Amino acid sequence: MIEYDELENRMILKLVYYGPALSGKTTNLLRLHDLLEKQGRGDLTVLDTKDDRTIFFDLLPFFLVAPGGLKIKLKVFTVPGQVKHDATRKAVLQRADGVAFIADSQLSETANNFESFKNLEENLQFVGLDIDKIPLVIQFNKRDLGNIVSEHDVRSTWEPTGIPVFLSSALEGSGVVETFTSLAGHTYDHIDKKYFLKETHGLDRNTFIQQLTRKSHVIPAIKP
Amino acid sequence: MSDKNTIHYDHIIGADKDLKEILKGADLTSLLQSSGRSGVSYCAVEDAAGEVLYRYGTFPLPAEGEEQGPDNYICLKKPIYFEGEIFGYVVVSGNIQNRNLIEIITGLIHESTNTIIKSSYRALLATETHKTVVHQSYEALLETNRKLTLSESRYRNLADSLEQQVRQRTEELKHAHAKLLHQEKIASVGQLAAGIAHEINNPLGFILSNMNTLKQYVAKMSELLIFYRAALARNMINPGDMNTAEQQWKKYKLDIILSDIDTLMMESISGAERVKKIVSDLKGFSHIDETHKVDIDINKEIERTLNVLIHEILPDTEIIKDYSPLPPFTCNPADICQSFFNIILNAFQTREQGLKLVIATEHADGYIRIRFTDNGPGIPEEIRNRLFEPFFTTKEVGKGTGMGLNVAYEIVTSYGGAIEVGSVSGEGSTFSITLPLSDNASQRGHV
Ligand SMILES: Nc1nc2c(ncn2[C@@H]2O[C@H](COP(=O)(O)OP(=O)(O)OP(=O)(O)O)[C@@H](O)[C@H]2O)c(=O)[nH]1
Ligand SMILES: [Mg+2]
Repeated sequence: MIEYDELENRMILKLVYYGPALSGKTTNLLRLHDLLEKQGRGDLTVLDTKDDRTIFFDLLPFFLVAPGGLKIKLKVFTVPGQVKHDATRKAVLQRADGVAFIADSQLSETANNFESFKNLEENLQFVGLDIDKIPLVIQFNKRDLGNIVSEHDVRSTWEPTGIPVFLSSALEGSGVVETFTSLAGHTYDHIDKKYFLKETHGLDRNTFIQQLTRKSHVIPAIKP
Repeated sequence: MSDKNTIHYDHIIGADKDLKEILKGADLTSLLQSSGRSGVSYCAVEDAAGEVLYRYGTFPLPAEGEEQGPDNYICLKKPIYFEGEIFGYVVVSGNIQNRNLIEIITGLIHESTNTIIKSSYRALLATETHKTVVHQSYEALLETNRKLTLSESRYRNLADSLEQQVRQRTEELKHAHAKLLHQEKIASVGQLAAGIAHEINNPLGFILSNMNTLKQYVAKMSELLIFYRAALARNMINPGDMNTAEQQWKKYKLDIILSDIDTLMMESISGAERVKKIVSDLKGFSHIDETHKVDIDINKEIERTLNVLIHEILPDTEIIKDYSPLPPFTCNPADICQSFFNIILNAFQTREQGLKLVIATEHADGYIRIRFTDNGPGIPEEIRNRLFEPFFTTKEVGKGTGMGLNVAYEIVTSYGGAIEVGSVSGEGSTFSITLPLSDNASQRGHV
């Protein structure tokens, strides 16, 4: 949690999209930005990119007010996937409330996915977060491509871990909102345990998720 | 929940900014100025709490005693949304006649402020992230540096004490080596003892059995002697007595006894002599009585050594002794015997059967040379020069200490001598010991 201000009745949460370089983290946020209702959220800030590669991070903020008056800001970040930006990844990961790991489904990327996941484990530990406790979902992106790991393999590898797995094509828009919805739900559960969102602030799980994932009525243009 | 009212984390990416932090700059002031000059009387940017951050002109305050401001004035207030929530307001006021202008100006300032906020926010985030990352890397660097300094000083200390440690280690090694040499001696004595026990037991066995037989013989002879003595006492040896005496003689098989006694005695004496010799050889070999240097005859010492090794000699072993007369050699005899012992024992172990060992001694040019030649399998060239290293052994683990030849080497070199090995694979090996006489007995006029 980035901040909790009891006097101001304000809470700032952080979700992080993690994963190897070019797996589609930025594209995920771009899609969310297109697909979700504009009201109740800010614009996507794409911070300093070089040749479409994230150097710092991207940020998509959401804002909602609980029936009891608690103002909740939810900031969704991406990290730079390139190995050399590890210091930035650590900085962004600090105080995260939930993580979506965006893996690249292409078979050629298997090793990179693995490395990046290991890096996530290390960095979570570095910033004092427990990988077994933090809400975590996994997305296997780029399902629209050929030469990808089979759904069966993905499920048999990850489902035993209990981590929710989603298949997506961020480029075409499928699976993106589902991933986000799942992560939001898990994050709610996690925060609710400690801050009694429902009991004290009258905010139940469904409302929280619905507020964040209302669909935009404008049909977004899909990039070819 | 935290008992503190506010938890605020430093340097956390994503920490909220208020409008005041983001909106800094002459951009907005100049925008407000030009808006003011275009015909509105007041324009301002307020934060979410309504605090005026930047303004131009004066807000038309209500006149004294009146509740409202002048009714020919209007005021427009447009919220600025940022990250989904109200972040501040644009407030523009002017004469109602200029309503259109006021609306346009409000929209203009709103739009511009939004743009400025977005770009300033991006710049701010970039700078902050950069700082955080640099700070973090700097902290990491400091930590690395601290560790390096620590390990560097550790290494320096280590280097200082290394020399001393090496010296200490060398001492320890020397000590350990000396101890091992000693243990090797004890081990070979132990090995000897087992064989010697057998050697002594054998003669002792038949001496004992002979003694038992002799005891019975003596009993019978005593009986006969008593009988003769009684007959003599009666002073008459009648034919009846003679008869009885003859019967007794036959009964006790005294003819056999008398002839056997000699054999038994001779056997027992030679057995006892063997024991005596073994003991004296052993004593001589170990030189229990001689702890300082004495003059010895090397040929004799080799003999002694062979004698104590007698139990290790297989029946079909052929030992050829090719001794030349040697001048006395001054040494600690126990040492020299030990080195012969180790070399001979080594030779005995090269073959299961058919061993031929030639032991040759000679004296020439102030040197005594002793050669032990076996017909064993030979020593492969690659291990030949390692043979005298401590712990080097080709025997199974546990069978040899690997110290035997090293001990021989240590002893020979301690007398200024040399020990060499020559070997032809499949034909055998020769161990040559060369001992110098010059600074030895010759000094004392023995040669
Ligand atoms: N075919 C296909 N391409 C995708 C998909 N998602 C992303 N891409 C493409 O993959 C490339 C990298 O996508 P990004 O979203 O920039 O990747 P990233 O994970 O943010 O990469 P870094 O910022 O370097 O860590 C872009 O060219 C995307 O268009 C997908 O689902 N299918
Ligand atoms: Mg990116």
